[in-house]
Amino acid sequence: MASLKIVFFASLRESMQCEELEKSFDAPLTVRQLKEQLASELNQPSLLTEKVKAAIDFDFARDEDLIDISTVKEVAFFPPVTGG
Amino acid sequence: MISVQEADFHVQALYESLCVADKTGAVAMFVGRVRDFSDDPAQSSFMLEHYPGMTEHNLAKIVEQARQRWTLLDVKVVHRVGKLSVDDQIVFVGVSSAHRAEAFAACDYIMDYLKSRAAFWKKEITPEKEEWVEAKASDEDSLKRWK
Repeated sequence: MASLKIVFFASLRESMQCEELEKSFDAPLTVRQLKEQLASELNQPSLLTEKVKAAIDFDFARDEDLIDISTVKEVAFFPPVTGG
Repeated sequence: MISVQEADFHVQALYESLCVADKTGAVAMFVGRVRDFSDDPAQSSFMLEHYPGMTEHNLAKIVEQARQRWTLLDVKVVHRVGKLSVDDQIVFVGVSSAHRAEAFAACDYIMDYLKSRAAFWKKEITPEKEEWVEAKASDEDSLKRWK
């Protein structure tokens, strides 16, 4: 069992009304699997839209990327970036 | 140097800090500013949010990629966060090198990647509404130039 911090930013944070949460997992899962689990548990289907981007420990991640819960500390979900 | 900060920045001071004695033949700089996006500039502002940690991590990666691609003497990136008003400075990218081609190209490259790969989000605020800025497909397309 390993604990994972999950954080949300910008419009996604506002629509989900959630800044961060902590969850425990007993097996590795992909970004897509985590999205699906959260969308269902939090009743937030917007997490599954194509526009939602993800990062694993500060690196951009794709849906198929595996979250190794023994080493990963933080996963983030957010809309496409608009800096500069 | 990479800095994500609320405070404004001074272009002249950044320019001087980019210059390496006896070696710098070129300095290319870019400054991004808040332009008016409403009918009432005095009442309009931006709120710039970022992902602390990821922002700096990704900017450092972008600068490192530029350094591997061109021979550069120094690179400085400053990006402001928090509340910004029309005509405020948002971002500074400065690159020094021996020759202008490297400085121009690296500055352009860093700004292109910053737009699409650094974890910042803008929200436009007017008395009537608050609206998150949508990402532009043209920013992502712009990266194809560097492949």
